Amino acid sequence: MASMGTPAVVMDNGTGLTKLGFAGNDSPSFVFPTAIATSSASGKATKSTTSKNSFLSSKRGLEDLDFYIGDEALSASAGPNYNLSYPVKHGQIENWDHMERLWEQSIFKYLRCEPEDHYFLLTEPPLNPPENRENTAEIMFESFNCAGLYIAVQAVLALAASWTSSKVQDRSLTGTVIDSGDGVTHVIPVAEGYVIGTAIKNIPLAGRDITSFIQSLLRDRGEPDTSLQTAEEIKQQFCYVCPDIVKEFSKFDNYPEEKFAQYIVEYADRNKRNVVDVGYERFLAPEIFFNPEIFSSDYLTPLPTVVDQVIQASPIDVRKKLYKNIVLSGGSTMFKDFGRRLQRDLKSLVNERISLSEQLSGVKSTGVEVQVISHKRQRNAVWFGGSLLAQTSEFKSYCYTKQDYDEYGPSIVRNFSLFSVP
Amino acid sequence: MLQIEQNNLLIKKTFTEKVFPKDESSSKSLDRIVTDFDFTTYHLSTLNDNKDLILFSIYLKFWNDLVKYGVESYLTEKYEKFDGPVTILPKSDVEMNYNYSLVVDLSQLQGADEETKQNLIEELSFLKRHCMAAPFEKAFARYDELAQTYANSNTYSEEIQAELQKEDILTINYRGSDESIYIKPSFDRVTVIFSTLFKDETDKIFGKVFLQEFVDARKRSVQTAPQVLYSHSEPPLDIQKAVRNTGDDNKGYVTFVLFPRHLVKGDRRDNCISHIQFFRNYFHYHIKCSKAYMHSRMRFRVKEFLKILNRAKPENVDEEGKSIETKKTASGRRFDIGRV
Repeated sequence: MASMGTPAVVMDNGTGLTKLGFAGNDSPSFVFPTAIATSSASGKATKSTTSKNSFLSSKRGLEDLDFYIGDEALSASAGPNYNLSYPVKHGQIENWDHMERLWEQSIFKYLRCEPEDHYFLLTEPPLNPPENRENTAEIMFESFNCAGLYIAVQAVLALAASWTSSKVQDRSLTGTVIDSGDGVTHVIPVAEGYVIGTAIKNIPLAGRDITSFIQSLLRDRGEPDTSLQTAEEIKQQFCYVCPDIVKEFSKFDNYPEEKFAQYIVEYADRNKRNVVDVGYERFLAPEIFFNPEIFSSDYLTPLPTVVDQVIQASPIDVRKKLYKNIVLSGGSTMFKDFGRRLQRDLKSLVNERISLSEQLSGVKSTGVEVQVISHKRQRNAVWFGGSLLAQTSEFKSYCYTKQDYDEYGPSIVRNFSLFSVP
Repeated sequence: MLQIEQNNLLIKKTFTEKVFPKDESSSKSLDRIVTDFDFTTYHLSTLNDNKDLILFSIYLKFWNDLVKYGVESYLTEKYEKFDGPVTILPKSDVEMNYNYSLVVDLSQLQGADEETKQNLIEELSFLKRHCMAAPFEKAFARYDELAQTYANSNTYSEEIQAELQKEDILTINYRGSDESIYIKPSFDRVTVIFSTLFKDETDKIFGKVFLQEFVDARKRSVQTAPQVLYSHSEPPLDIQKAVRNTGDDNKGYVTFVLFPRHLVKGDRRDNCISHIQFFRNYFHYHIKCSKAYMHSRMRFRVKEFLKILNRAKPENVDEEGKSIETKKTASGRRFDIGRV
């Protein structure tokens, strides 16, 4: 078949960012906001100037072609003629019209490929309703005639991405995925490639909250620049997770030169610049995962406790494996020592319980190994996992082809066979 | 986005990151596969021993056809002016499984001014366009010759007509054996014929309507555009001898007749080549766009119909035929009036 030689296309449409690229590459080729700017005024404008237009274009406007996606959309929407919208909400596609056009431009403009010649790997959030899968398949097969399609669950791909870490000895698809992006943090247990839906928990704290926390700290101190962008930069450049807040405070007080930092804000206007001091927020900001009470009064359960609850809610025969393979994914898990702190806190929770049960039953426990795996590809873990799986020679045999779709209809995509572990 | 851009955005982006490094991350090693339309694959990689050297290779399915029409010399001509930063590898050194390789030396670019750098990036991102342009250039050159030869002769005479009939047809099987471009130069025009094949039934219909519109558009408004003809399953007479397996029902032939005004040397000729070689991609892109448009109309319609259906829902009535209003409490709970 003609499409055998071409690399598969991997598309990960998240709530915040879309990652596009080809299987076999180590990083996505394009990362841009999942945003689309559609023209609002042109519909009216073409009508008023009909008399001037040629016969053809007066028959029908070209509004449906007049739109931008990604970063271009953000800049276009600054002008008067475009409306910005985000077609993906909470990980799920809400506006199919916009999504179809977003894909159209991603494929033809950015990736430059004829969809008929390529296989596609798309991602979906856990607990995505099957109707959404069917809609996706309808668009991919009927609009784009793509050669083949596989829809993978993001958490499973994140697990696959962790195989690059040296800590992983056996490549299994069992583990707990902590996926923290911009909007929300999920803790998802996966057993042998299947998501344990009943045990999934969400935490309403993620990247955006950390940024606004930093911003509020800067405001309280009265720094010269307290924009969201500055807070974002400080978060990415300076923040880290400390082992103990009290000791960290005293470290800051004892060695101020080493710990305090300065961030220089540059503006489009070259002559203007501001210096922002960076202080305790360096370790306080990521601390909201471990001590949420410093940020919000509604949500008070620390991340390690949530992870523990999730694993305890899973079937008893996989719990040991879930503790042993906790995988991080997403930009908000990139803080230095995030994994180490999580591992330590979780271990103490588990040990406490073990010692309690030992006391009660009088039987010695064999112990539970807790291991949090962090690796280099964490930021785009989902995409990378997709790229890793889609480059294997078996990938195409797991996909449904256009012929399969024509034969069975959209309901075919309700089930995909899982990747067998190599 | 009405037009598809001719250069490859990703290649441009990759090279821009390399040539204008922002931070340390862009000086890392690189190993990236990039694709383009018509089964084109590029491979960008840094050489093992030196991270300033980027190997840039292209694979084209129809390379052998292009070689016949002098693609190598054409590319040499295009990239020669960047001699120094760009080295064209001889045939024996071309990367395995690829057809053509260049090596870009970033260290030599450091001294160059901004404009040269931008120029180079631009030209590199046009690599596929340049590859495909070679046969067109050759055909147009042949047209120049013919135009000169027959400038003063009676071109309606039978001998000359017969002579022109024999003119070689340049064939590019750019998507394997299914779809091809045929180019036939003559003294007063160049005929470019695309054979198209649709795998999907719906596409076939869309394609037909689209092409019909293409043919009509010229008649109505854009008189300076090349003449477009469309024929279904039977190849046009011009290329009948060059076409194999004729009479396939799924095949269509689109003919463009380029007149001297399109072939004026310089920018216009380049522009003409760039546009015409993208015809198939443009065509398929727009079929897909119109499908997407149709789908959005369908969704809209369904939503409207659902609204009407919802309106037709029978009201709740009690025994006497009065409608029962279902009232909600502030918290959103319902309770039925009249029932105990």
